[in-house]
Amino acid sequence: MLQFAQFAVVRFAMALFTLLMVSLIVFTLMELVPGTCAERYLAFKNTQGSGISVEDIEAEKRRLGLDRPFLVRWASWVGNVFLRGEFGDSCILRVNINDLLGDKFLISLGICLTALALAYAIAVPVGIISASSRNPWLNESLRFVSYFGLAMPNFLLALMIMLASTVWFGESLTGLFSNEYRDAPWSVDKFLNFLAHAWLPVFILGWSATAFALQTVRALMLDEQSKLYVTAARARGLYGRRLLWRYPARHALGPIVNSLGFDLNRVFNELPIVASILTLTEAGSLLLESLARSNDQQLAGAIIFLLTASIVAVNFFTDLALALLDPRVRKSVIGG
Amino acid sequence: MSDALISVRDLTIRFRTDEGLITAVEKVSFDIAPGEILGLVGESGSGKSVTAKSLMRLNGENTVYDPESRITLNVPGETPLEVLSLRRERDMIAIRGGAISMIFQEPMASFAPAITVGRQMVEQLLIHTSLTEAEARELSIEMLARVGIPEPARRFDQYAFEFSGGMRQRAMIAMALSTRPRLLIADEPTTALDVTIQAQVIDLMKDLVAEFGMAILFITHDLGVIAQTADRVAVMYLGRIVETGSVRQVIRAPAHPYTRGLLDALPKLDDLDAELTPIPGDIPSPLNRPSGCVFHTRCPQMIAGVCEGRVPGYTRLGDGHDVACHLYTEQAMEAAR
Ligand SMILES: Nc1ncnc2c1ncn2[C@@H]1O[C@H](COP(=O)(O)OP(=O)(O)OP(=O)(O)O)[C@@H](O)[C@H]1O
Ligand code: SF4
Ligand SMILES: [Mg+2]
Repeated sequence: MLQFAQFAVVRFAMALFTLLMVSLIVFTLMELVPGTCAERYLAFKNTQGSGISVEDIEAEKRRLGLDRPFLVRWASWVGNVFLRGEFGDSCILRVNINDLLGDKFLISLGICLTALALAYAIAVPVGIISASSRNPWLNESLRFVSYFGLAMPNFLLALMIMLASTVWFGESLTGLFSNEYRDAPWSVDKFLNFLAHAWLPVFILGWSATAFALQTVRALMLDEQSKLYVTAARARGLYGRRLLWRYPARHALGPIVNSLGFDLNRVFNELPIVASILTLTEAGSLLLESLARSNDQQLAGAIIFLLTASIVAVNFFTDLALALLDPRVRKSVIGG
Repeated sequence: MSDALISVRDLTIRFRTDEGLITAVEKVSFDIAPGEILGLVGESGSGKSVTAKSLMRLNGENTVYDPESRITLNVPGETPLEVLSLRRERDMIAIRGGAISMIFQEPMASFAPAITVGRQMVEQLLIHTSLTEAEARELSIEMLARVGIPEPARRFDQYAFEFSGGMRQRAMIAMALSTRPRLLIADEPTTALDVTIQAQVIDLMKDLVAEFGMAILFITHDLGVIAQTADRVAVMYLGRIVETGSVRQVIRAPAHPYTRGLLDALPKLDDLDAELTPIPGDIPSPLNRPSGCVFHTRCPQMIAGVCEGRVPGYTRLGDGHDVACHLYTEQAMEAAR
């Protein structure tokens, strides 16, 4: 256990360091966008009809602290983010980014994680059993289902479900909240209303995630089953379920956990398109909008940082799980 | 039947593959007496492992045994067991870790990486004996000590990756012998180890086997190792046993051209300048097995018109020394006349 605690501490420090590096990269990228926040804001004002001068820009720069050196500005940005969870103001909208994002980011993350959890909850047992089963009927139908899941793009599935629900039930399934709850503060009712809407994006994202995960689990299981230690265990008299769960399945779990990080990445990437079809203004699509339309580097930076941070966090937790599962990881040099 | 511990008759093993049915082992017969060490030699791909695994029914699901194949396990005092007639995995426990244990070529890969060595040993003992968990632990630690592993109680709780190569193979031997099997199959047990450790491991195996009174099927591609280890040898080429006899007979007076080829390919300690002559040609693909004598495509003494057409039967050259080669059969002698 001491070993594990040590491992966890080291990995946590590494995750923090990674985040710090990520913040540096994100901040540099924000810098590289042509024009500063001050210029952009004033240019925006200009289009609204108020004339501006070079002095105005300089004054604005000073006000925003843009005249300080790069590293100092990065340190203050990262300090605010790490210590207070504050991302500052949006360049153009002049609103606090935290207020702007509100629950949107957490809602998006929640939808993605739920879809992923569901996918693995189905794929792990089904994949393990099907990989060890000799039943050709089971294997063929699973293969069909998972190819179908892989081949059908998410947006098509989303469109089909929406069409079906409108035609047959005369009900539109879009949005994440009914109108009366949209701007209401969180309450039990609002949460229930959210759940009543959120199952659809979770289902759509989970659909292809499950198909992917099934393929991964099956491949990893087939790989484990062909290993010598499984034959050696059979040679010692193990067989049946006991052999399956204690040997190949037990040892496939590590690589399965490892694939979670990649899969979260993929689900994140798929969220915006699903969100825009289902018009979930509360999730996903906001990210795309802020990146593409408004060219708002403060907002974009915050969003990219949050996305990366959640992937780093997931990887941290999968690392911990991996260490629990695999003594080689636990005892690795880096783990101390 | 004889007093053999295990008796293999006309064992033919084929595999269903995408390219069709391939034959890996054909009409192989041999006996192993209790306490005897039989060496099985042959080049890579000759079917040694497949033969060995068939004794424990460990070949893959695509395996087909010909109906006339027989493997009979005859443990003194028990009813004989037809190994190839076993249908349920549960019944195979008798030959898997019960009467027969196996050590594999790669000691690292044969331990499950995420289960401690001790756990794997105890698990096997709980399957095959009526020991309690605590007794099984005690016996396992005793066995680890017996094979010369220092601090066995600490090692018991470690994982295979924390052991050195030689120690892993020792632990494997300890595990294989802990259930006191009648037959130990050692499939190239020392190939992955360096030379000094090889010798130690072989000595250890011989000692223990003598002490426990069990038989060994010792598989290797190295005739030199066989000479130090085995009582009898069977030489295998492309799924056939081409020559069998006592170590003395086969190594001093090899009869089959393939056996001679193997011996000529060995460095000789008494004459280091002697030329090493490898067997010419390549092993044919199992997809197109040669007709007649399987060795005729590489045999320097091949008798045209005979060897490629007819499969040679066994000729007895001395007590227990058999060879499958037309040089020793009636037909060839007639053809030569
Ligand atoms: N499950 C299987 N399916 C198809 N072919 C197989 C299978 N198992 C073994 N073979 C083939 O059977 C032949 C004999 O293999 P085997 O492993 O017994 O050789 P070997 O004599 O032990 O060689 P080595 O010294 O390399 O271990 C090889 O051509 C191998 O490819
Ligand atoms: S039977 Fe013919 S080909 Fe085969 S080993 Fe004897 S001489 Fe050579
Ligand atoms: Mg082999």
